[in-house]
Amino acid sequence: MIVATAVCPHPPLLLRELTGVQDVAADLRGVCESAVSVLLSTPGLDRIVVVGGADTSRGEVSGRVPTRIYADAARRGPEAEGAGRESRPPTAEPLPLSLGIARRLLDSVAPDTPVEMVTVAWDASAEEVERVARAVAGRAERVGLLVMGDGGARWGVREPGHLDAASVDVDEVVRHALADGDTGALTALDPEEAADQMVAGRAALQVMASAVVLGGTSVGSELLYADAPFGVTYFVAVWSCASC
Amino acid sequence: MLRLRGREYGPDTTLVMAIVNRTRDSFYDNGATWDDAPAFERVRAVVAEGADIIDIGGVKAGPGEEVDAEEEKRRTVDFVAAIRSEFPDLVISVDTWRASVGRAVCEAGADLLNDAWGGHDPELAEVAAEFGVGLVCTHTGGLAPRTGPLRPSYDDVVRDAIDGTVALAERAVSLGVDPRSVLIDPAHDFNKNTWHSLELTRRLDEMTDTGWPVLVALSNKDFVGETLDLPVGERLTGTLAATAVCAWHGAQVYRVHEVTPTRQVLDMVSAIRGVTPPARTIRGLA
Repeated sequence: MIVATAVCPHPPLLLRELTGVQDVAADLRGVCESAVSVLLSTPGLDRIVVVGGADTSRGEVSGRVPTRIYADAARRGPEAEGAGRESRPPTAEPLPLSLGIARRLLDSVAPDTPVEMVTVAWDASAEEVERVARAVAGRAERVGLLVMGDGGARWGVREPGHLDAASVDVDEVVRHALADGDTGALTALDPEEAADQMVAGRAALQVMASAVVLGGTSVGSELLYADAPFGVTYFVAVWSCASC
Repeated sequence: MLRLRGREYGPDTTLVMAIVNRTRDSFYDNGATWDDAPAFERVRAVVAEGADIIDIGGVKAGPGEEVDAEEEKRRTVDFVAAIRSEFPDLVISVDTWRASVGRAVCEAGADLLNDAWGGHDPELAEVAAEFGVGLVCTHTGGLAPRTGPLRPSYDDVVRDAIDGTVALAERAVSLGVDPRSVLIDPAHDFNKNTWHSLELTRRLDEMTDTGWPVLVALSNKDFVGETLDLPVGERLTGTLAATAVCAWHGAQVYRVHEVTPTRQVLDMVSAIRGVTPPARTIRGLA
């Protein structure tokens, strides 16, 4: 059963070593670390599971933070700040970005915290989402879930996906759903529309919604961050089981 | 490792040395900082632009008005003292070949003697040792101070520049100059034709491979002007191109008229070389 969740975005620029001298995402990273701290401090957790989007749905994913596929900066500079604490061997396969960012956040907050990592396909159907959600929720009696998912990327003409006003609509639905603990609104997100608006977190957020619903309890929710400072919408939220 | 005014700089740190002429006739600025007030303003401006070193010169490098040692001191010593007072941490270099001038400016607070005429006065290195200051060892190909090149020839100009400057550097160290404070300078244009200076630029890595910190003085020089067929005043772009190549090859100190564009080129090349990170990277990472 899911007793607590945290939602974080997974842009590469959360990796400190990728943004050069300036730590452009310091505020966002701070909020994400707060959310992860809240999740990890949930009393009596039996297991922590991370779910994030990837090309395919898989369980038991492992690997290293994928810095080097974004920049050779991994060899130098401020990287030591975060990467030095990572326990993955450098020869390991790179994690999917979503899980790599989760790994870094977890290592920043509580190094060497044991977690299980799973992916859900970006284009997962409702059935596939449900299957992943059941697997996640059934991992232990009290599961803490870290959900890695981004909002839309089509807010403006300079943004990655160029302007599409519908992006605002999808992001608004997600924002309200995360703020209100509204699992139904997340489950109702249309995969095609979300994909069109480049909402990378659709499937992962739906896994969270379905997994929480399986527990059958009410949700306390808090939206910590919702903004698009660099053209992609980021959400940070924490949910907790009100009666667990 | 380079050490100036007690500070140490790793081999990947580049330093901008801003030229401040106390002359009436220097080729680029035509006496713009001959008077005290504009000279002080020039120092304040280049410091604000991020210059790491200023290089004060009292004698035009090329042929021109006769300036004896006493006049050279009149032009530089009090100015060094005043700059030292206003900027206690600034590295002050003085461009002189005369030991007597070197001694006077060191007493006034200079940190580096830029011996642009390559050991013409052998006592200058002894002054550097005596005062514990740095020394720039320059390749002039045997040219006497303030004379221009007439049909200079070299079997291998780069080899000659390396052998000449390294010999001067080793001599300076043997006299007691801190080896961390000795730089070598191939001296573009000094007893060189444009082909020679272009080759020195192209093969500057052979100089940096010696391990001695390399200073280059490229700013608006004739080899840039002849290469692009441009007069003084229109050579900044060419200067910056040469600066980029020298930076790629690992030169550490850049003696320049224009500080801000030089600093930008050095920072850009440093990032391309991968020795410093870019300032702010967002593109494609959101």
